[in-house]
Amino acid sequence: MEEREVAGLRCSAVLELLSDYLDGELAPEARAGVEAHVAGCNVCERFGARFAAAVQTLRKLPAPAGQEGAADRLKARLGSR
Amino acid sequence: MSREEEQRLIARVVAGEPAATRELLESYQGAVYAFALRLAGDAALAEDIQQETFLSALRGASSFRAEGSLKGWLLTIARREALAQLRRRHDTPTEPESLESLGVSAGWGAGSPEDTMDEREQQQQMERALGLLSPPDREVLLLRDIEGLSGEETAAALGLPLAAMKSRLHRARLRLVAALRGDTTEDPHGRA
Repeated sequence: MEEREVAGLRCSAVLELLSDYLDGELAPEARAGVEAHVAGCNVCERFGARFAAAVQTLRKLPAPAGQEGAADRLKARLGSR
Repeated sequence: MSREEEQRLIARVVAGEPAATRELLESYQGAVYAFALRLAGDAALAEDIQQETFLSALRGASSFRAEGSLKGWLLTIARREALAQLRRRHDTPTEPESLESLGVSAGWGAGSPEDTMDEREQQQQMERALGLLSPPDREVLLLRDIEGLSGEETAAALGLPLAAMKSRLHRARLRLVAALRGDTTEDPHGRA
């Protein structure tokens, strides 16, 4: 990985801040710094997009199938206490 | 369910009201089962964890404090049950690794693979990638990203300071992206 400094931030600093950026936990100044870096660094833009897409897919995962039997057995077990 | 409603529900559970117990189960059994299944990776084990979680929650309902959500409280119990079960099976400590090397494994600095998967395929790939992670990585992703607990609730469920939880979450997300990348690279259909 070839590190660059863009908008006063190195790529490794942006890598470190990606989750906080995504979770909306960066102060406005730090957030603006990340956005300025990404706007001028195609490596971080590409990776940031992939990282964000993965987290989005994770957050939208549907519930696993096959819970009906488990729910019935749970009720039976609690009912027999 | 608001925090006030959760508190009222638990008060009715403590009072021994059967309808309240049913409501508790119906509201949260799905989340507890999904969490247990993804953390333990085994349906039978997930059922055991789900049952033990609710048994424990009903026994200890009076200890619920409304500072956190009911879901967070139940998932904290489920996590404890799951880890106890997993410890009996195997221990998989996470190797310390620099953030940069995690990033490189996740494709930081590499080209972007063409994304040709539909939503269902992406979800299946995500489930496979989750299954490849260590339990500590998996549990932080399950609590924070899938179950949607707040940062503070996730930290409390894991027994970690907030900063340590955030560090673990970031590393787990990078390992997840690395696992997805490995999955894509090895795709027999040559989508990489």
